[in-house]
Amino acid sequence: MARSSRRGRNKKVNSTPIIIGVLVILVAVLASMLFFKPEARSAAPKPFNISKYRQDGSRFASTGNRYVLEGKVESIETRGDNRMLAVSIRGNNRELLPLLVLGSNPLQINITRGDTFIFEVSCRTGRDSAGNEVKGILVVNDVKTK
Amino acid sequence: MKALYYLPLISLALSTTAPGQMPSSFDASGRSTQAQSGVQNDDPMRTGETPPPQIFGMEMPLLDPSNDTVSYAGAKFDVGNNAVVRERFEKFLSQTPDDSEQSRLYRKRLEEILTYTERHSGNAAKIGGKTLVKIGLGLYNLSDYPGDGGQAGTLASAIVSALDAQRANRRRDRANAELDAEIDKLIVKTNSLNNRNTERGAGGGSVGGIRNPNGSSGATSHTFMIASNTSKIAEKKAQQAANTASNQATIPIAKLNYQGLVVWFMLQRRYDHAVIGARVYRHIFRDGDTRMNLEKDSDAYKMFTGISGMPPTINTVDTMASNARREVDQSIDAVLGALAQNKLGEATNRLITAVAIGEYMQSVATFPVEHRKRIAAYWQLRKRALTALNARDYGMVEEIAAEMKKMDADFDDSQLLSYTAGRKRQSNFALRSARKAFAAGNDEEFRRLATEAAVIWPRNPALDAGEEEIARVDSYEPLMEEFRRLLERNQFRAIYNERSRFENVAADPELKKKYTEVVEFVGATDIMLASLRTGAESDRTIGPCLAYEQLDILMKKDKRYADDKVFTDAYNQYASQAHDFVQALRDGADCEARGEHGSALSNYYRARCFFPKSTLAREGIDRVTGVIVNAQY
Repeated sequence: MARSSRRGRNKKVNSTPIIIGVLVILVAVLASMLFFKPEARSAAPKPFNISKYRQDGSRFASTGNRYVLEGKVESIETRGDNRMLAVSIRGNNRELLPLLVLGSNPLQINITRGDTFIFEVSCRTGRDSAGNEVKGILVVNDVKTK
Repeated sequence: MKALYYLPLISLALSTTAPGQMPSSFDASGRSTQAQSGVQNDDPMRTGETPPPQIFGMEMPLLDPSNDTVSYAGAKFDVGNNAVVRERFEKFLSQTPDDSEQSRLYRKRLEEILTYTERHSGNAAKIGGKTLVKIGLGLYNLSDYPGDGGQAGTLASAIVSALDAQRANRRRDRANAELDAEIDKLIVKTNSLNNRNTERGAGGGSVGGIRNPNGSSGATSHTFMIASNTSKIAEKKAQQAANTASNQATIPIAKLNYQGLVVWFMLQRRYDHAVIGARVYRHIFRDGDTRMNLEKDSDAYKMFTGISGMPPTINTVDTMASNARREVDQSIDAVLGALAQNKLGEATNRLITAVAIGEYMQSVATFPVEHRKRIAAYWQLRKRALTALNARDYGMVEEIAAEMKKMDADFDDSQLLSYTAGRKRQSNFALRSARKAFAAGNDEEFRRLATEAAVIWPRNPALDAGEEEIARVDSYEPLMEEFRRLLERNQFRAIYNERSRFENVAADPELKKKYTEVVEFVGATDIMLASLRTGAESDRTIGPCLAYEQLDILMKKDKRYADDKVFTDAYNQYASQAHDFVQALRDGADCEARGEHGSALSNYYRARCFFPKSTLAREGIDRVTGVIVNAQY
């Protein structure tokens, strides 16, 4: 690399187009980061990418970790104080998203099967009794009727 | 001796039989040779029994009716198994009764003589030479018949010899009487000469009663004559004494010879001749002495006294011979009676007795040929049964017993059948153990047990089957090797595809079990795959998912499925057809393994969307939900 730099200096290359290119890329990256911010989405909710979530859910925990989803409750399974909802996202009836409703977080709305709600969720990582990580769990923080 | 009859017989064949005793006389464990000969080697010295008595150097066979054996020469003979008896009896059965004119005439004459002797032996007035002459002539006439065997002629000659001895005695008696007369005459004459000498001596001219030739010659001649007479008297007295001695010696010898002949007839079972001889004895020896000349310490003497309780006489022989004749006649009557009732066993038994005791009796000799044939047929069966029993061919024995039972409903086959059944079972048990030893690979034990089974029942059909089985197993050894190799590699499908060829490995019980397992496993797999294929074809959405899931569950449960190419092909085929479902399940499992429980649950939900009744999806959902819900956040 050092030899290459020396060769470049010796050839006297014009660096202006390179600098412009780098600036364009930086602008694009900043723009994309702003676009994917939750705050930006809450303003205009976009479909939750279940497909990606199915591959690696814990990734969702590291990017702001607050999502708003609209979905229909397909099933509810209650275990102890907690409930597990299977929610189908609008426009994709082949996919169901698991949403955990913790008993420690009392919701103002009664969630019933077959109804559509707007869920505000966060992706969390829990620990089981053995101390192992339970990753990529979408926990319902709030819910609103549509 | 209490229950014993003595039967004087010339040969060892003197014995009787009991058909029902046939099996008891055999011991297939090793006494078959004895059984064949019919001799039971009960050594009297060992058993402590009294040896049979002897007469004239011949041992008298003794019949024990309680067990139908005859003791002879230190051994006991069971009639049914005695080779000699069999031979004689079979000869009798095969003979045609002699019913010729000559035979009838012989029997008639013999009967006449018997009647004649019976009538005259008790009448003192008729005892004498004329009776004897008539009997003797009659006997000589009998000897013309070949069946008599010259016995009557022998008896006639013995009578003549005895009479000759008597005549010689009488001649000597007469000679002695004549000598007495001559002696008396000589005495008288001598006395007269003595008196004359005495008178001359008193008249002078004599010296000492002896005259000289010149003056006293008369006295001298008297003296010589007296001396001569005296010498003659002495000679005659000596002659008389010699005659008397001859007489005294001749009669006992004659009696002994005659008695010997009569006893000989008894031994020969010529009871008619024995009776005639005994009865004629009184006509010959009229001194009233009928005692048998037997040593008091001899066994024969003891035997005779044992039967009658009295010193043996010639009348004892008469009685015994008469009893034997009656016994034979009664036996023949019994045979005819048993035959009339179809009791062939009983008839055979009684006929053997009759033949053994009185082979030459008229009732035996004229026994009808048709009856002989019936008994011969039954006897042949008995012989075959004995042979089969000796050969330990128990199957054959049972067949023969059944035939005998058909012929004679009274034939008691229980003992026989119990024996054969026991031996057969013993052999089969040994064979069964041998099979186990063979299956276990214990060659030495197998050989021992198989030999044992063969020794007990050589004709055991299972032996042949076992032999064939062993040969077959041996010939299948390469096939078994191949089978084992495929089994080790879990190549069940290869075995299944050639199951008819590999079927032969079933000769080995262990491999048979494996073979069955393999065939059943692959067969069931094929049936299941066919069923799933039908389902998958009928519903191309759910069907492949169901089929995949079923196969997946089975493959996880049983590793053998993974080695079956047909199974794995089907598995892969359904996995391809139900790709989304399968992928969801696999992703779920993958995420679950990585701790991505949210993603895993989402994948399982997705799988359930493709196949709502999926067991795997449900199980995944249940499992992961439990983890998520119970975790701390």
